[in-house]
Amino acid sequence: MAMRSQVYEWANLAVAGSSSSIRRVASAVQVQIPADTSVDIFIGGYGNNITKPAETTATQFVVIEDVACSPAYGGAVQVRINTTDYFQNPDVTVQNGIPGLASPYPVGTSSDGGTTSDNILSSFNLYPDVYVLPGQTWSVLYKPRSTVWGIGASSAAVAAFVKYTLYDGPDALIANKLLEMGVTVNPNNVDWYKRTLIEGGSQ
Amino acid sequence: MAMRSQVYEWDAGRSGGGTLSFGQKYSIFIGGVGNNITKPAETTATQFCVIEDCAVSPTDYGTQSATAIGTDGSNGPRAYGQVRINTTDYFLDPDNIGNDGIPGSASPYPRSIAFQPSFNLYPDVYVLPGQTWDVLYTHYTGTVSVTATGEHQAFVKYTLYDGPDALIANKLLEMGVSVNPGNVDWYKRTLIQGA
Repeated sequence: MAMRSQVYEWANLAVAGSSSSIRRVASAVQVQIPADTSVDIFIGGYGNNITKPAETTATQFVVIEDVACSPAYGGAVQVRINTTDYFQNPDVTVQNGIPGLASPYPVGTSSDGGTTSDNILSSFNLYPDVYVLPGQTWSVLYKPRSTVWGIGASSAAVAAFVKYTLYDGPDALIANKLLEMGVTVNPNNVDWYKRTLIEGGSQ
Repeated sequence: MAMRSQVYEWDAGRSGGGTLSFGQKYSIFIGGVGNNITKPAETTATQFCVIEDCAVSPTDYGTQSATAIGTDGSNGPRAYGQVRINTTDYFLDPDNIGNDGIPGSASPYPRSIAFQPSFNLYPDVYVLPGQTWDVLYTHYTGTVSVTATGEHQAFVKYTLYDGPDALIANKLLEMGVSVNPGNVDWYKRTLIQGA
C-alpha cells in the first residue's frame, strides 16, 4: 500500500473547558475562534488536533487534492508549505485562501450555518494539485472573517477537510522522478512509470 | 461470473438495533449491532477484492440556533468509516496514527442535495488473497441506544475477482497496473492474442 488516499477532518469541537483536544472526543463542545484568526487544523490549538505538524519524511511525497471548509462566518482555507502560503492575491500579497463558499464542506451545506436552506455546491477544483516534497512541512489554515462563537446561545460548529494522497517508499521516488520529468503526479502516472520500468527491464 | 460488482449496506437500527458507544469502532459486518453477517469478510486463496467506495451517514455543521442543529453544532451523528485490512487501518492522520476514517460529510450515505460527496476513494483499496478486511463505523453524537433505522448507516462498494480473474488481478498488481474490470479484460485479450 505505497499509494494511499487519505483524509483529515477538523472541527472546532473539543472537550468542555479546553480549546483543543488530541483526536476527536465524545461530548465535545464548540470552541470560539476569533475573527480573522488563522487556525492550523493540525496543531492550531483549536478543536481536534494531532500530535505534531504534518510533514513528509525523506521517503514520502504528498499530493493535496482537495481542501474545503464550512462556508458560514466567511470561512476560508489556505494551504501552507513550510512558510509559504499557496494562495496569493494578484499583487502577491497574503489572502485567506479558498472561500468555503467556493469549496464548501460538506458539499450541499447552507451558506450561513443552517438558518437558510440554500445548498452550496463546489465552484472550485484544486487542480493542478499541490505537491509536498520530501522533508517539507505543510499545513491547512482555517480563517473566519467573523467570530465563530463557542459554547452558548450563539455557538456554532465549523469544519474543514483536506483530501490528499500519500506516496511512500518506492512510489515516492517515482513521484519525484515524475516531477523532474514534468509529468503530473497521480496514481495512474506512477503506475505508468512502473510499467515502463518493467518493460525496460524485460527487454 | 468471475468479476462481480458487490455492495453491502449496514444500518445500526436493523435486527433490533443495539448500543453504539461514542468514539468506539464497530464492524459493519460482525460488530454485533444492526444487520450483520455470519463471519468476517475475507478473501480465499482464489479471490481478490477491490474496495471502490465507502460511505457513512453524513453530518452538517452550523449555528446552534438553526433548525435541526444540535447543541454541539452538528446535525447528524458525526460518523466515520475506516477500512481495516487484517489488523492495519488504512486511513492515518499526518502523524501516522490511525484515525476514524472517511467522514460521512465527505462521503455521505445516502447522498442528497444537502449532502454530496467531496471524497473519492482513489486509488482503490486492494484486499489480496487470504486477507481479512473490515469497515469500522465510529460516531460521536446522536443516539447511543439505536432502535430506529436511518440514523447510523454505512455502505461499501467493492468488486470481487474470483478464480482465473483473481490470478490476473494479482498479475496486474505485480505489473503496476490498476486492477479494474477493464484492465482484467485487456490482459485476457493480450493472452488470447499471444496464443
